Amino acid sequence: MPIYTYGMSHTSAPLEVRERIAFPPDGLDLAVGRLVATGPVREGLILSTCNRTELVVHARSGAADSLKTFLLGERQTAAKELDRHCVLRTDGDAVRHLFRVASSLDSMILGEAQILGQVKEAYAAAVRGRGIGTILDALLQRSFAVAKKVRTETGVARYPVSIAHAAVSLARDIFGELRDRVVLIVGAGKMARLAARHLIASGVRTVVVVNRSHQRGADLAQELGGGTAPWERLFEEMGKADIVIASTAAPHAVIGHDEVLRVSRTRRGKPLFFIDIAVPRDVDPRVNAIENVYLYDVDDLQGVVRANQEERRHEAATAETIVLRETAAYLEWLRSLDVAPLITDLKAHFRNVGVQEMARFRSRLGPLTPEQEGRVEEMTEALVNKFLHHPIQALKRAAANGGGETLSFLREAFGLPESDRRDPADRGRQPRNDPDESPGSVERTAAEPGAGAAGTDPGAPDDPQ
Amino acid sequence: MDWSLLLFRVALLLYTLAFVNTLIPMLSGRRRTVRLTPWLAAAGAGAHTGALVALGIALDRCPIGTLPEVLSVLAWTAILLYLVIVWRYRIEVLHAIILPLVLVVLFVSDLLPGQVVPVAAPLQPWLRPLHLFVIILGVAALFITFAASLLYVIVDRALKAKRPARFVLGLPSLDRCESVGRTSLFWAYLLLTLGIITGAIFSASLYGHFWAWKPQESLAILSWIILGVVVAARLGWGWRGRKVAILTIVGFAAVFLRMLGI
Repeated sequence: MPIYTYGMSHTSAPLEVRERIAFPPDGLDLAVGRLVATGPVREGLILSTCNRTELVVHARSGAADSLKTFLLGERQTAAKELDRHCVLRTDGDAVRHLFRVASSLDSMILGEAQILGQVKEAYAAAVRGRGIGTILDALLQRSFAVAKKVRTETGVARYPVSIAHAAVSLARDIFGELRDRVVLIVGAGKMARLAARHLIASGVRTVVVVNRSHQRGADLAQELGGGTAPWERLFEEMGKADIVIASTAAPHAVIGHDEVLRVSRTRRGKPLFFIDIAVPRDVDPRVNAIENVYLYDVDDLQGVVRANQEERRHEAATAETIVLRETAAYLEWLRSLDVAPLITDLKAHFRNVGVQEMARFRSRLGPLTPEQEGRVEEMTEALVNKFLHHPIQALKRAAANGGGETLSFLREAFGLPESDRRDPADRGRQPRNDPDESPGSVERTAAEPGAGAAGTDPGAPDDPQ
Repeated sequence: MDWSLLLFRVALLLYTLAFVNTLIPMLSGRRRTVRLTPWLAAAGAGAHTGALVALGIALDRCPIGTLPEVLSVLAWTAILLYLVIVWRYRIEVLHAIILPLVLVVLFVSDLLPGQVVPVAAPLQPWLRPLHLFVIILGVAALFITFAASLLYVIVDRALKAKRPARFVLGLPSLDRCESVGRTSLFWAYLLLTLGIITGAIFSASLYGHFWAWKPQESLAILSWIILGVVVAARLGWGWRGRKVAILTIVGFAAVFLRMLGI
């Protein structure tokens, strides 16, 4: 039975469509309940963020239409709109897609950290809505593990990609630890406030605001928990500062080359870092040429951000191979599940034959002691196990290689009925640990894993010995 | 079988591997393999220790009798210092500078003739080893100073050029370069000063005069003066930054030349 993902994301639909289709967080569990109540769906999860709304389900083959019907019934939308913007993925593609989403490889900002939390929330809601069974539970647990692996083993999330973060990261390149650094804010603009906030969040404790209008400067200083100084003392304060954030509304540079040169002479080579986020610029660009003074304007910061985005994209290639490997391992586990009920059925079948034949021949054996009777039963059991040992090993191998046809052939050969029904008691199980017992690296996409046999209990007895 | 030579070759091989290992990520832009470098260097230091011990046993004396031996001990000390700093301060790129230096020293020591310098029986037999010991420790500390100063210049350039490469190459912050450079310079200068004093006393006890204006002595005193200026600027007047880093590099170059050409 296949796994599907169905829905839209920022790559397939514009915001005005996404916002209408999104599920509100309240009542998401109830929506999941309605989702798994639709005919072919066995397990389901709804991932709905501002950038995507996607259904992840484990369902009978051909469930695609009912997913569309479900969305049509739930949200204010038209069938035509869904056809245009929704993407349906099956099995290998679906698994890989979910892993990519959780690892933030499909995010608008590559490597952003929020999406994993959102997937976890969707999972929690789906557990409450009793939409999670063995298959999706394993899938989601594994997606969390993949996301963690991608974060720690690749640089996808390492390089800062916003201007404010880039500025903080540069400050760290220069000063290392920021705790004891002094930040001087020149001007009280919105951008200055934002950058200062980031620096304070990174440990800076001393902030001084210098502004032409004393009142606005004082307001900002109070907001940031810092002090103020009059405009006339700008360069005096600069001599004591480590980081200068400039964002005045002045139409020309207010911090000139010669003044900074004079200031820098009093500093004995102590580095001074200018973050000029004003447009037009506040700091004379020649300041960057002064020894031990580093000047970054908006364009420079943008350049750093661009370079970092490039690095993230570069790292994403490594992340994609991790995702591919994990997808293959999950699919292999999934296929091994298909074979479990067949093995159970086979063993039951052979055991039944043994028991029936025993019953027929029992009278011919004459009186037996209870001990002898036990031995005969043991022998029957042993024969069944011996007969089935090699076929079961071969079956497991065939399952691992996606041999759905072998499975259905065997059912036919031994006259075993197709058992498509899953135990409903599976639904709403508690989260399990990583289900994968033998993480292989079989690089193949899924065949229809169903072939009729879709029991889902990985704990089914499958070893004859 | 000459154990010391065998172990020495093993150490050389491991150091070389460690250095090659630092080059791979620099060329390919990936960072992960570098983690192996300190371990390779540590393994090399292990083999090197074995080589020195074996040599000491074979010669039945402290293995700092000849210039190659002194250089070998110097390389060994520098590697140990580097390992301490990598584990203590997490400046991993240090190996990209220290390892080639160590390799140069070792190859030079391998090329030089290994005769024991004939020394008349000195009055105080402990004076020469003491002199060499403090000099070696001082120069090894100066290796670290040099590496930190060079890193300072590199990071400064990257920042000025608006191409901060800290993440890609795992470079330390300017501040970290500065503090490691300052601390190691302080110790290096202290030890080298002690080394020159003991050397002069040794010379006096041997030849009857403290100072003979031989070229090696002149170069030694010149590099000591250059370093003295740097130390005064950095520790006395609190100077720091790029110019001081460059001056430090010049001072180190003088000491390094003096050392290889004793």
